[in-house]
Amino acid sequence: MGSILRTTVVAAALVAAGASVVQAEIRIGVLYPIAGTGAVYGTPAMHGHNMGVDEVNAAGGILGQKVVTFARDTKLKPAAAAAAAKELITKEDVQILIGGLSSAVGLAISEVARQEGIVYIATIPKTIQMTTKKLHKYVFRTASHTDFEGDAIGQLVKKLGKKSVCDIQLDYAYGHDLAAGIEKGLAKHAPDAKKVIDLRSKLGATDYNAQITQILGSGCDVVTSGLWGSHFVNFAQQAGPFGLFDKVTYISGGEIASHEIAGKMGKDYPKNVISNTYELWYDHSFPGHKKFQADLAKRSGKKETAMWPVLAYIGVKFVAAAAEKAGSMDADKLSAALEGMSIDTPVGKRTIDPKTHQADAGQFWGPMVKKDGVDYRVMSPVTFFPAKLD
Amino acid sequence: MGWNMPRGVLISCIVVVTALALVPLADSRYLIDISTEILVYVLFALSLNVIIGYSGNVSFGHAAYFAIGGYANAILLTTYEWPLILSFPTAVVLSGLAAAFVAYFCTRLTDIYFAMLTLAFAMLVWAIAFKWRSVTGGDDGFVGVNVPEFIDGRAPFFYFTLVIVTISSAVLWMICHSAFGQTLVAVRENITRAGFIGVNTRLMRIGAFVVAGSFAGIAGAIFAMYNRGVYTESAFWTESAQVLIMTLLGGMYSFFGPAIGAATLYLLERFANEYTQYWPTVLGVILLVIVLVLPEGLVGLAKRVRERLAGGN
Repeated sequence: MGSILRTTVVAAALVAAGASVVQAEIRIGVLYPIAGTGAVYGTPAMHGHNMGVDEVNAAGGILGQKVVTFARDTKLKPAAAAAAAKELITKEDVQILIGGLSSAVGLAISEVARQEGIVYIATIPKTIQMTTKKLHKYVFRTASHTDFEGDAIGQLVKKLGKKSVCDIQLDYAYGHDLAAGIEKGLAKHAPDAKKVIDLRSKLGATDYNAQITQILGSGCDVVTSGLWGSHFVNFAQQAGPFGLFDKVTYISGGEIASHEIAGKMGKDYPKNVISNTYELWYDHSFPGHKKFQADLAKRSGKKETAMWPVLAYIGVKFVAAAAEKAGSMDADKLSAALEGMSIDTPVGKRTIDPKTHQADAGQFWGPMVKKDGVDYRVMSPVTFFPAKLD
Repeated sequence: MGWNMPRGVLISCIVVVTALALVPLADSRYLIDISTEILVYVLFALSLNVIIGYSGNVSFGHAAYFAIGGYANAILLTTYEWPLILSFPTAVVLSGLAAAFVAYFCTRLTDIYFAMLTLAFAMLVWAIAFKWRSVTGGDDGFVGVNVPEFIDGRAPFFYFTLVIVTISSAVLWMICHSAFGQTLVAVRENITRAGFIGVNTRLMRIGAFVVAGSFAGIAGAIFAMYNRGVYTESAFWTESAQVLIMTLLGGMYSFFGPAIGAATLYLLERFANEYTQYWPTVLGVILLVIVLVLPEGLVGLAKRVRERLAGGN
């Protein structure tokens, strides 16, 4: 009996220690991959997030209270992200969740948000499922999704008058979803274009020689793709000597037009590439971008800033706007406020569809060209594709 | 009966289970969550120890059966809308059958060859989960598992987990301390001699594998409902390595060692993640310490300390 009493006292003390949180501030839980291989995306995203929070706090906070961030590493693993999200909610008493990177991590956090009845704003994950089959009251997405990307690719194929298409995607959720999005985009905008070949590469693949020879042998005049990051870098380096980029136009989602990729590849970036990005440090098409970019450059210590920060920044701005509109951090009120909400961002106005909870996250698309005096390719002309499917 | 629990151990178990039963009264969601997760990992580690500690083989692919239990229960509950009373046992049986299939091939080998083949089969399970997108959700995971209403709450689910894990641990204890368990120890200690006295050593090793796989399936089935989702990473080799380290940390030559290892490693990871991004470094150091200083794990350390204190007196 004595043991039981002792254990009870210890347990109670543990609980008291954990539960002594006083809500005198707005507590935001942030989930990005901030260590390991994913840090290349998560670290810049955190720059954008922190910049957004600092701006909100400088303007008086949210509902007059200081905003405090509790960041956790998702490790790019859904189960780890779900555990971290639960911990943020149950231990740190966060009132809202923001972040995610991969589709699987986004869906895992969304499921925790549904269970716990807390709003989650997905700032980067693109899986179409999040705002269709797996949609629920508390999940909102301020990033783009694969149907938007596919639709833009369909428009570009039509504009260029291409007739035979080779599609190469990574063999995982994003690749499959984007392939489906491209099918829809082609059917809608370029019904005459014929899909000649469908290729799938392993996620993390470094050898693309088999696919390159298949593309060259198929006789297609355009390659549509979603090879992102190092996948594209490897593909381009191997396809270059075969003259693939002399023979076909390469239209790609996966944000390979971002400065992260173009700057890293430098002169190795191939010609005839048309791609997308959420933001370009050198393009000030929208009001407020110049200041945003200058502040970001100061914060990150680089003149040529990355694309990811703006996504995290927009997430914070939506939280602030929704809380002010709702007059509370109550999840149901926040959810109601976010439905149909519009805000101005450094990359244009963003509105959240009240039915799908999806923001009209348009992207910049254009050919990547050489520019005098610059040792990397830049997008020119830059065209903003609004995120509209009808 | 050989599997009767010593009085001191029994009392300790009752105290621990009673203390755990009081957790929800504290009204801390965080405490309930970590207790639930620890219980799942305790069962997972205890199940692996049947192979490692009792039959003397090292499996690098134990996560496969955890994942099979998880996916099977999740899919049957959600896609086919089976009641829990059918889905849960079916998931466990499927895990056991998968373990039997793998064991049939793996037990032809011993030592590192056995370990490598278990790893290969586990990665096969991972690949199936990854590629069979229409059923498993692929790398998006199988999200949105239907959980029966009677356990669809933090405290009810915790009690459900506590009951299942307690019963499973008790059954595992009985199995490990039965004639079968004792024979496994004989096989572990000297497989040639055990064979010469008439033990079908291969069958015994298959039996150990099936028991371990089935109980890992129970842990996986609970975890899928707790997370409301199953992900391919559950079957990945890193998950197998994690539970292996839990077992080694606690001590593989003690029945409860892996349970202590699971709780310790889980809490270390939890708290390390809250304060540092370098959990893999911490894990590496733990592994080094186990290999170099604590070959018998925490239980072995406690025993050595106790013996030294007794010697000092």
